Amino acid sequence: MFNTFFPILVLIVLATIIAIAMATVSVIFGRRTKGGAKGEPYESGIKPVGDTKERIPVKFYLIAILFIIFDIEVVFLYPWAVIYNKLGMFGFVEMLVFVVILMVGYFYILGKGALKWD
Amino acid sequence: MTDQNWSILIPEIFLFIWALFIFGLDLGIKRKNPKILGYSAMAGLTITGILLAIFNGGILFKGMFQSDQLAIFFKVIFIGSAFMAVGSSFDIASEKIRHHRGEYYGLILFSTVGMMFLSSASELITLYIGMELTTIPLYVLAAFYKDDKLSVEAGLKYLIVGAFSSAILLYGLSLLYGLTGTTDIVTMKINLSLVFLSYGKIGPGLILAMIMVIAGIGFKLALVPFHMWAPDVYQGAPTPITAFLSVGSKAAGVVAFARIFVNGLIAFASDVMKPLDWGIIVAILAAAAMILGNITALRQRNIKRMLAYSSIAQIGYVMVGMVAASELGIASVGYYMFIYLFANMGAFTIATIFNDKTGSDGIISYSGLSKTSPIFAAYMSIFLLSLAGIPPLGGFAAKYLVFAAGIQAGYTWLVIVALLTSVVSLYYYANIIKTMYFSAEEPTIKIHPSFPANLVLLISVIGIILFGIFPGPILDWALESAKIFAF
Amino acid sequence: MELAIFYISAIVAAGGALMMILQRNPVASVLYLILSLVALAVLFVQLSALFVGSLLIIVYAGAILVLFLFVIMLLNLRGEKFTSEKPILDKGTKITLVVLFFMELVILIKQMAFPQRMDSLMTQASPDFGGVEPVATLLYTKYLYPFELTSILLLVAIVGAVIMAKRDKNEEEGER
Repeated sequence: MFNTFFPILVLIVLATIIAIAMATVSVIFGRRTKGGAKGEPYESGIKPVGDTKERIPVKFYLIAILFIIFDIEVVFLYPWAVIYNKLGMFGFVEMLVFVVILMVGYFYILGKGALKWD
Repeated sequence: MTDQNWSILIPEIFLFIWALFIFGLDLGIKRKNPKILGYSAMAGLTITGILLAIFNGGILFKGMFQSDQLAIFFKVIFIGSAFMAVGSSFDIASEKIRHHRGEYYGLILFSTVGMMFLSSASELITLYIGMELTTIPLYVLAAFYKDDKLSVEAGLKYLIVGAFSSAILLYGLSLLYGLTGTTDIVTMKINLSLVFLSYGKIGPGLILAMIMVIAGIGFKLALVPFHMWAPDVYQGAPTPITAFLSVGSKAAGVVAFARIFVNGLIAFASDVMKPLDWGIIVAILAAAAMILGNITALRQRNIKRMLAYSSIAQIGYVMVGMVAASELGIASVGYYMFIYLFANMGAFTIATIFNDKTGSDGIISYSGLSKTSPIFAAYMSIFLLSLAGIPPLGGFAAKYLVFAAGIQAGYTWLVIVALLTSVVSLYYYANIIKTMYFSAEEPTIKIHPSFPANLVLLISVIGIILFGIFPGPILDWALESAKIFAF
Repeated sequence: MELAIFYISAIVAAGGALMMILQRNPVASVLYLILSLVALAVLFVQLSALFVGSLLIIVYAGAILVLFLFVIMLLNLRGEKFTSEKPILDKGTKITLVVLFFMELVILIKQMAFPQRMDSLMTQASPDFGGVEPVATLLYTKYLYPFELTSILLLVAIVGAVIMAKRDKNEEEGER
């Protein structure tokens, strides 16, 4: 258990150290100029209008939720692929059924034009 | 996998493919003719019913899919309620729903497929997925009038409450799995009694699991105190969907409850197992449902809200039969749901037609209806009197059986509560009849239901009267279906 | 060492969950939720539920929280709006309820003696229990039928999402 995950632990520790180090280094060595044009997103560009809390259109949400549904499909593919050799033809057919049913959903999305950005 | 009889899956697979076909049909005919979609949905449900009569009996996937009598009994109720919901949707589909008509019908069929899988589930995971498949289409259907604030609110409320209750149910089911080491309900029953016999105690984990499952299914059943969502959702959703929710989805919850509690946890039904018994919890909830549902219904001015509270009360009566946890109890629950299908679908169909014509759901606008549309008023009276339980209509026999089962199991106090609240319920049911018949107002509207809606009304009325006077065949069938539990 | 990892991730998970509900800014809440979920994933891995742990990161921390962010941006919540509504319960009642519920949980968990030697009824767990392969073997052989049902469930979810979120075609232009 410990041996298996030791590399991951090392990775996490290293990543944390590097992140903290970069933040500290910039705090120590960085020059600080406050206020004025420095605070703006584009220092010599267009003046920002409003704030960042804009409402985004529902289209993004549709794409996101469709992504999640197919993401979950992929989650099912992952363990299936691991034992594919053991399952053989039987496994192939069952995944075929699964994917075909979802494929219907994909064609439905295309048929309804849900992915069109208009 | 050679001895498996795959044909028992045919009704479900057919209905699933038919739902996809309706989606395709809607895209194919460019949303021109809504009637074709409705008729093909009705045809699909009829064919599914016929297929169910041909291909049934047996188990599949090592018992995960059981096509037993209980499943078939409830599948008939599901198909019936979907059929009637589709039948009463024709006017809505041609006027109010301009987009996604195919999806409207298709999702009703999908939900029905989910209910059919649920009622055949003899295993917790399948049962859970069946329940999700039942409710997810209903979330969408409840919010189907996308421009109507009430409908969107209904969909959102139903989604949030439904998601929470699913999570709670899942907690309960996983605790049950943790306690027994199996997801199969029959094996669960055996393991629990083995542990109990060997060690004499199980610990509070089981009661926590039972409370969570009761809460999870209670939300779907709109059992008090998990009923808060029901009036708002019932009011906002399109009326045929409300009807489908109140009959089909409730029957699905009832069958899930029966499978888990009356089969899997039957050993813990009576108070012999104190404090690990679920009977008393459910009995108290049932009493609360009957009292609260009936008394709140008295004050409603909107027919859909009134029927919502009435259906909260009705599920209380169903639960009286359920806590009896006997063969007669389950049979009476089955019979009750069967009659409830006709009475409630009929009443909601009338509310739909009336709303299509007048745009109003207020009880007051039904005044004097008997003068212009006497048949229509007579139908409504029959449905309401059956819901109240007046002989010789079906509702009377149903209530009688449920009460008999309750008394037989020793829940005399619960039956007394049920009797008293039925008297209360008569008041608000009769109030609508009074409004229709004895109002001085001269109505101007005349109701002409479309052909499918007429068909639905006719089926409901015939069902109520016929099975009220001759309860024999349905009761025998319900008793047969209760036998699978091996009390 | 394992105990140390357990305590660190348990504290991070609980703290992340707490910070999530204490934040006024919904986007920061989501970030804390991610932190909490990652710590939970570590806990799952420690319980040798390797597959569940990785799913938690792939699906929850990855995909679902992106959706949460979209929803937050869609709803256009602003921090100050939360304070405007009058709370139903006053602060004292709330704290009492929380403390009571917490005590109830502690008592329940302490009493929650799962029956001793129950495992004699179950099959002993194999050493690679909870890994990808055992889960996959169960999922694609014994639980084949629920697995196929899941695809229907996902299909319904696709249809529902498209109906609810897609703007209807021949509608007037403009905000709905």
